[in-house]
Amino acid sequence: MTIVLGVLEEGLIYAIMALGVYITYKILDFPDLSVDGTFPMGAAVTAMLILKGVDPVVTLVLAFLGGAAAGCVTGFIHVKMKVRDLLSGIIVMTALYSINLRIAGKSNVPIFSKETIFENEWLTNHVPEALDPYVVTIILLIIVVICKILLDLYMQTRSGYLLRAVGDNDTLVTSLAKDKGMVKIIGLAIANGFAALAGCVYCQQKGFFEISMGTGTMVIGLANVIIGTKLLKKFGAVKATTAVIVGSIVYKACVSLAIALGMGASDLKLITSVLFLGILVFSNMQDGRGKTHA
Amino acid sequence: MKKSVKVMMMAAAMMALAGCSSNKAPETTAAPAETTAAATTGETTAAQAEETTTMPEGVAEIVDGTFTVGIGQFAEHGSLDNCRTGFLQGLADEGIVEGKNLTVLYENAQADGGTASQIMDNFLAKKADVICAIATPIAQSAYSAAKKDGVPVIYTAVTDPVLAELAGADGTPVGEITGTSDKLPVEKQLEMIRKMLPDAKKIGIMYSTSEINSVSAIEEYKAAAGNYGFEIVESGISTTADIPLAADNLLGKVDCLNNLTDNTVVSSLPLILDKAAKKNIPVFGSEVEQVKIGCLAAVGLDYVKLGEQTGKMAAKVLKGEKKASEMNFEVIEEAAFYGNNKVAENLGVEIPAELADSAAGLFDEITVK
Repeated sequence: MTIVLGVLEEGLIYAIMALGVYITYKILDFPDLSVDGTFPMGAAVTAMLILKGVDPVVTLVLAFLGGAAAGCVTGFIHVKMKVRDLLSGIIVMTALYSINLRIAGKSNVPIFSKETIFENEWLTNHVPEALDPYVVTIILLIIVVICKILLDLYMQTRSGYLLRAVGDNDTLVTSLAKDKGMVKIIGLAIANGFAALAGCVYCQQKGFFEISMGTGTMVIGLANVIIGTKLLKKFGAVKATTAVIVGSIVYKACVSLAIALGMGASDLKLITSVLFLGILVFSNMQDGRGKTHA
Repeated sequence: MKKSVKVMMMAAAMMALAGCSSNKAPETTAAPAETTAAATTGETTAAQAEETTTMPEGVAEIVDGTFTVGIGQFAEHGSLDNCRTGFLQGLADEGIVEGKNLTVLYENAQADGGTASQIMDNFLAKKADVICAIATPIAQSAYSAAKKDGVPVIYTAVTDPVLAELAGADGTPVGEITGTSDKLPVEKQLEMIRKMLPDAKKIGIMYSTSEINSVSAIEEYKAAAGNYGFEIVESGISTTADIPLAADNLLGKVDCLNNLTDNTVVSSLPLILDKAAKKNIPVFGSEVEQVKIGCLAAVGLDYVKLGEQTGKMAAKVLKGEKKASEMNFEVIEEAAFYGNNKVAENLGVEIPAELADSAAGLFDEITVK
């Protein structure tokens, strides 16, 4: 049971970030590496704000905004300064390492003794003891579902349509007299906002910020998106956002299974790669045509 | 039909991969973990490891019952490996011997925070009686993961448990968690450097900005340096790749270098030693392993001893003598002097007799790793 809850907790946290990667990778076709920096940025902002006595729920919003700002920078560098997509992400990710250290003040900030969204007086008073082990999972589920619904709703707005149009057919956007660069920037802002939000939730759940926590975020995000969308492709009725969330949980379950089967934790990156490659090759064979950039 | 065959093939491939790795990972099975530690930490440790495997029978009576301990180590690194060796030795001294009444689950997070928390979930799922966390970040992961289930956590190599919020300001545990600290004896180190190099003015210290222990050690050095007439020149790096440039830059400005227990810097120590030797600048270490590989001298900790002390604390918890929450975290009081005669000869520096006489270890050669 512990392991199932562990998988759900980890999977749901990364699902928030994966929703963002879904926007950049699937919709905008933009390999955005800045999430490796915005994920710990969300955590740094959160740790700092919580230490200053800000309400943990408010930090969720502020972390999202912080990440969105960083996403705007990536977008600005790419669109206005005409730097290649991959490079703009790398530039922002690298810069964020220093910025995150500045925000947090040091490389490791514990918040064990503070109230978080998972541990506070209200919860202790209102949640029956029998539910205790499930509280974290339930709260995470609520956050993820809210994020998913908001994103789905956004996709149906005018701005959301334009976002999807830029990925599919950007000439259409130009012909509608809309600035496709601006749309890309908005997309990156939302994506990095989600990454930072995931970092915020992660920090509150684990009880500390650590500068190295963002390493490999992008790869996990991509794996989640690809696993989710490929696995659930057959079920046409399932929304892509739902697929991404399922993908995150499946991915973490695979990693957990690998550890449980006796693989060393040091081999985890190899498992990630193999799993990743396997899913890609599998889905390409299924498509019958190889996507060159996948 | 075709699809499901492919899925099966993939699953089979994953299992095969997992299977072959488990054969290669002796740490997780009953084989003694000491052998792996010894392989990475050179001769002396190998000798100690031999002791470990032979000593237990004669020393302590095997305690009744079976125990499972999950050891989560943050990174692969001489000092941390020594902690683990010492930890198992400490348990063995108390009659809890691996392979007899103790199952050891060992995982290394390879400096990845995300992996660290999954390791902890795995330990909890396998019903570890005690979790041993080696180094600060994984100790924090262990605490947040084990809190729910009330599984006791024993940490070691955490420089400042108070700053890491694993202990209250008075040293009392914040929950079912306690252990040992590897706080550096800063004043003693400075005093030793002053004795070795009477004319030196500037000490260069390289550290990685991502390691909280180093940042707090730097502050302590800066505060104490004035008392011994030194000035600290610091150089922060963020990755191993920054080290060559930072070393060249720093070596141009200082009379000697001093090492902390910074994981990133220590991993690249041979490179720094090489550069410093070319300029005839002494490098001081922070523990015995560093002196063996070419630092001039160190007033430092013996991580094997630190591990042993930690193992004894864990044994108390396992035997039910004390709860983790009832023990304050411990430090090793006496710091020992280690010197390297060969390095001193190369540099034309003499190790003062006063220090040499009190030395816990003097080495006549430089061990090349």
